[in-house]
Amino acid sequence: MADTVVKLKDVWKIFGAQTDEAMQAIHTHKLSKADVLSKFNCVVGVQNASFEVGRGEIFCIMGLSGSGKSTLVRHVNRLIEPTSGTIEILGKNISNLTNKELRQLRSQQIGMVFQHMALMPHRSVRDNVAYPLEIRKVAKSKRWAVSDHVLKMVDLAGFEDRLPKELSGGMQQRVGIARALASDPDILLMDEPFSALDPLIRIQLQDQFKSLVADLNKTTLFITHDLDEAIRIGHRIAIMKDGVVVQIGTPEEIVMHPADNYVREFVQGISKLKLVKAHSIMEPIESFNGSKPKAPRAEHDVDLDHLIDLAVKSSEAIIITDDGKDVGVVSKSTLLQGIQGGKDE
Amino acid sequence: MSDRPIKKVISASDIEIDRTELDMSISQFAVKNGGYYSKAFSKIHEKTSFLSLTFNVWACLLGPFWSASRALWGMFWSFLILEIVAWVQIGQGLWGNPGAEYLARAATQQNRADELMQRAKDATETVDIERFTKLSENIAKAAEISLERAAAAQAEASTILFGGLIILFIVKTIQGLYADYAYEKQYTRWRINPDQIESGMRRSNITLGIVLVLAIAPLVIFKFTSTQEIPQFLSEFPENAVSTLFLGSDNGTLFAAIAGFMERQIDAAAIAGGGVFDGIVRSVRTVLDALTLALNGSPWPVVMIVIVVTAWRSAGPRVAIFTAAALCYIAFLGYWEIAMETVALAGAAVILCVVIGIPLGVWFGKSMRAFRVAEPILDLMQTLPAFVYLIPIIAFFGTGNPPGILATIIFGMPPVIRLTALGMRGVPESIKEASVAFGASRWQLLKDVELPLALPSIMAGVNQTILMCLSMVVIISLIGGGGLGREILEALQYAAKGPGLLGGFAILFVAMVIDRIVQGAFKGSNKSL
Repeated sequence: MADTVVKLKDVWKIFGAQTDEAMQAIHTHKLSKADVLSKFNCVVGVQNASFEVGRGEIFCIMGLSGSGKSTLVRHVNRLIEPTSGTIEILGKNISNLTNKELRQLRSQQIGMVFQHMALMPHRSVRDNVAYPLEIRKVAKSKRWAVSDHVLKMVDLAGFEDRLPKELSGGMQQRVGIARALASDPDILLMDEPFSALDPLIRIQLQDQFKSLVADLNKTTLFITHDLDEAIRIGHRIAIMKDGVVVQIGTPEEIVMHPADNYVREFVQGISKLKLVKAHSIMEPIESFNGSKPKAPRAEHDVDLDHLIDLAVKSSEAIIITDDGKDVGVVSKSTLLQGIQGGKDE
Repeated sequence: MSDRPIKKVISASDIEIDRTELDMSISQFAVKNGGYYSKAFSKIHEKTSFLSLTFNVWACLLGPFWSASRALWGMFWSFLILEIVAWVQIGQGLWGNPGAEYLARAATQQNRADELMQRAKDATETVDIERFTKLSENIAKAAEISLERAAAAQAEASTILFGGLIILFIVKTIQGLYADYAYEKQYTRWRINPDQIESGMRRSNITLGIVLVLAIAPLVIFKFTSTQEIPQFLSEFPENAVSTLFLGSDNGTLFAAIAGFMERQIDAAAIAGGGVFDGIVRSVRTVLDALTLALNGSPWPVVMIVIVVTAWRSAGPRVAIFTAAALCYIAFLGYWEIAMETVALAGAAVILCVVIGIPLGVWFGKSMRAFRVAEPILDLMQTLPAFVYLIPIIAFFGTGNPPGILATIIFGMPPVIRLTALGMRGVPESIKEASVAFGASRWQLLKDVELPLALPSIMAGVNQTILMCLSMVVIISLIGGGGLGREILEALQYAAKGPGLLGGFAILFVAMVIDRIVQGAFKGSNKSL
């Protein structure tokens, strides 16, 4: 990654009274989570998490409820202090910031969107969006201008003077996104922003959000419990289970090479058609035994959907090319197996 | 059990019942006699009618001892009382000797008759002989009647004894029948909460049961059946002896000692802190003077117009008309100045309550520990009868209006503190977190999020405080407070019905006007949320 924006290294979070003793015991005796709970009455929220997120990347953290994903992401703006480990933002370790510096970091570099919107009910939409700027003591004329501009970006022009409760759930969450964007932060933390919305609105917002972030080149940590959402939005995905980051990879890597049975179970139901590329299922070109001129050809990075279209039109296997050279072959049986997904791996 | 295939159809009529697991758990619960209780409980589980026909012999025979050993304390107490009632009856029948009084009387009467008879024999004159014989016969007759009465009472004694036996029999039978049913209920509770609900037979429970029964039953039965005089230390609490124990003999009672001690302490504190208390009185007086000046110093038409317009603006025309009518009542009956004094008194108290109470409420809302410490004090302030703290207030602050306001504050402040704390705790965690996530400082969090969102609750607290202060304003006339309260106190002293009622209505109208105006303003501010 050329430009690392967020970097977590060996982050542990233990909840309870005797966190330090528990941490010691974990390092020296390799205690399990259950042992820590019974011996120290401490709950391990995050266990040894390390990852880096590059500029402009959307990094999804996916896991079921209670897997520690919300806890993990709150370390990035120190809403939760790590028990051990370091967190760097733009190369700066944030654990030794003073209170004032921390508030500055939160108000200037990090924007956050919450599952339950968390808008202030007594303020208009405009004043809600302008709130991060108000905290920074920006003049009213300026923050109103910014707020109106950001609201236009999320298609909410004309609702500036409404109260949040007059808006629908989807609109409220767009206000939440606008508020996170208002202070023009480098980093967006999205804590299950679309989970409480109904499916159609969710997909609509996902697409809107993806293009918006791409335009603005924001680094995003996106939490979700929905693998479909993670695959749709994320450049890379981290899968968490019981506080442990089980696997980090691109959507294709995760779907094609799940790290363990837990991940495999998750990806089973995912459609591979648009996700898996030809080069990850092709076999060596040597195994091709048909007539090369007749066979249909496809670039190595086309998806399965496209390969199916070609396979339907021709009886030959498909030759995969890279830069004009034949590099591999996808027969019909390979294609079907690919659609089914990595079964015997 | 798990390897048996699960049948598809499940209906109550043809479901198979397998009790092995249940029986095991019941034995584990009962510890002793597990087999018996498994059977008894299964009978209870089988029954479809109201009565379960299980009879626990041990519960029947041992009574409260059994229920204590099984930790059924509710059953223990109720049946202990019933058994004591039965035993008292039996005791009265057995050795209570209800005819004793008559027997004794018969004996003295017989003696007297014998004595008279002797005198009759000894007498020499016929007149005397006749007189004494007649007297003696009469008294002997009376003695016979007494003996008859004694016999009747003794016959009744056997009825009492019999009744006691019947009661005991019934109580025992009910215990035998009820025991398993009650124990099954205990078992169900134990299943839910095995750590809290006791199971099995514990030595400690048995001991406690025996101690309780021995401490209670013999004394009660003795008290109600004994023919002798009851020792005084049982019928009356030996407070003098206790006082002597603590203070030595001839040093007065504990009550006098403690009361005297407190009095000396309060006097000493009042003298030591004189400057502080004077300062408090002075600052309260400043607030009161300012309000009095505004209400009574301004020309009356100005004050009236301001009040009516305020009512109109905050609560609409209907309340404004009502306000005007109420003000007319007060003014026409000559209460204007006194009523304004009352408003100034209550107003000063409310202002101080709000100024002190809201910051305290914010603190208590944020710190659970502080709230836990403060809660008993708040309870005390609200429940302690006002008359009680009027006394120390006189000691520390003297009499008059400012001490009255202080008493009013004690009574009126708890609601605004409580409701502010409640409102602060009711602010959604997520909104606070969002504010912090955007870099808000503690002050910004309080000012932008917590106070605005807690405002409805705070306003409700202020409204309650206003009404409580108004109700207290009457009571402070007892320590020299002025206003309408004094009018009513005077009317009370002379039993003057007319002036009392008129003054009472004046206070009612003042309270209603203020309440309507505040509520109107409160609703208006709520609408924007």
